[in-house]
Amino acid sequence: MTQDAFSKYHPAINILFFVGAIGSCVMIQHPAYLLAGVLTSGMYYLLLHGRSGWKMIGALVPLFLFLAAINPLFNTRGETVLFWILGRPYTLEALLYGVSVASVFVVMMLWLGCYNKVLTGDKFTCLFGNLIPSLSLLLVMVFRLVPNLIRKTRQISGARKAIGKGAGSGASLKNKLTAGMTVLGVLTSWALEGSVVTGDSMRARGYGTARRSSFTIYRMTAADWGMLCILLILLGTVIGFAIGGSMTATFVPKRSIAPIGGTNLLGFAAYCGYLLIPSALHIKETIRWNISKYRI
Amino acid sequence: MKKIKKSSIAMLLTFLLLIPLTLYLGTFLSGRNYYITATLIIVELLIPFILAFEGRKPQARELVLIAVMCAIGIVGRVAIPIPHFKATFAIIMLSGVAFGPEAGFMVGAVTALASNFFYGQGAFTPWQMMAYGAGGMLAGYLFKKKRLPKNPFILAAFGFFAVLLWVGPLLDCSGLFLMSPSISFSWVIAYFAAGFSVNMSQAISTAVVMLLFGKPLLDILERIKRKYGMSEESEGG
Repeated sequence: MTQDAFSKYHPAINILFFVGAIGSCVMIQHPAYLLAGVLTSGMYYLLLHGRSGWKMIGALVPLFLFLAAINPLFNTRGETVLFWILGRPYTLEALLYGVSVASVFVVMMLWLGCYNKVLTGDKFTCLFGNLIPSLSLLLVMVFRLVPNLIRKTRQISGARKAIGKGAGSGASLKNKLTAGMTVLGVLTSWALEGSVVTGDSMRARGYGTARRSSFTIYRMTAADWGMLCILLILLGTVIGFAIGGSMTATFVPKRSIAPIGGTNLLGFAAYCGYLLIPSALHIKETIRWNISKYRI
Repeated sequence: MKKIKKSSIAMLLTFLLLIPLTLYLGTFLSGRNYYITATLIIVELLIPFILAFEGRKPQARELVLIAVMCAIGIVGRVAIPIPHFKATFAIIMLSGVAFGPEAGFMVGAVTALASNFFYGQGAFTPWQMMAYGAGGMLAGYLFKKKRLPKNPFILAAFGFFAVLLWVGPLLDCSGLFLMSPSISFSWVIAYFAAGFSVNMSQAISTAVVMLLFGKPLLDILERIKRKYGMSEESEGG
């Protein structure tokens, strides 16, 4: 399998999707919508991360249970008392509210996990390169410097080890600390000397004399514009229904959840459709890939 | 008449218009609106600083210098292989002390943003940018022009309290707004109590780095500044 299909769209499309998905999950606390969010974000997360994705899901489950169960301890409002704990009522409504808050948290973590995989550093700088040129340049330089400095750190500690000054794995905490500090000091002066040379070299080549153009490999194609339209239409429908009040739900002190049915179903369908787009594209691409492989 | 800078207009607009507007619109959102409102305000607070930096058209040397300090902050955990020991914040504050408040802010904010590209962006990214940036800036202001002596013990005490009372609590706030169902006094206490042990270990590691390493690193930075003529007076020209 090659790359994720949704990641191949223009970065603007990618970021629009995630802003919409995360924004709506924080705003809407209707249980059906939250369930849709949990399932779709979990699916896309697993599609992107493969088998290692289960580790994150496994870590989120206890966190979800903890967050859900702890709310009634703080919030005692509600009609249906399940049991009494430490002289305070533990209510069903507060528990349901805890579940909704915990689901929002889980959905957000999962979408952010997908975001990290889809919106890589180069896409970010491509999006903001014209808007905030100096900051984007800074980010690009940091991205390049980090692996470079890690290599230099290994060189320095290797050299120190060779002259018998390194701290091995068996060294005491104090030795490790002082050795680490020395390495950091050497690294700092080395890197800063280099930075001055780089800066002067940039200046000699005319940095700051004219508007800097930026290179990107991303272009808005017909497919991108089509996807933009689909996303905007679905998102508009969801926002329209949300303003219309078909997604309201309150839990404490009284349960009141807008029913899903009739025309409200349309809003729910639009929401599910919106969230399913990346997973659907990914699955479509996998099937196509396997068919082409089978044909060989 | 003195020309008003673009960045000060942005600053005024943010404080007088954007933030009240966000607060006002936030009351219309249903459900847990405070998370969105609070995060938007944090992002809006970052805008004037970034615009001021862009508007100044920073020199090549300054840009590379900030980038290097950020990268060192991120790489710090490779250089000192002790678990839970982070030198990142100490390096941000020392950059602020050596190169002034503005550079301190940029080093802090960019370190937070860039390190999250390596370790994963989260809902806390804008909060972290603000916390680190403001910490670096504060260090820059306090130690500027010998307001406070650059003594290792004072540096360590400053690092300790800045992490414990400002950076840590601000990061706890992002968790509080995201995860707690309602903002009440008991929730606030619960979150700050839960974050206290992590904040404490961060504060101690920052103080240790400042104590042992603050003076030598500052000497290195001063030497570079002197060697290449980058003192604060000539930076403006």
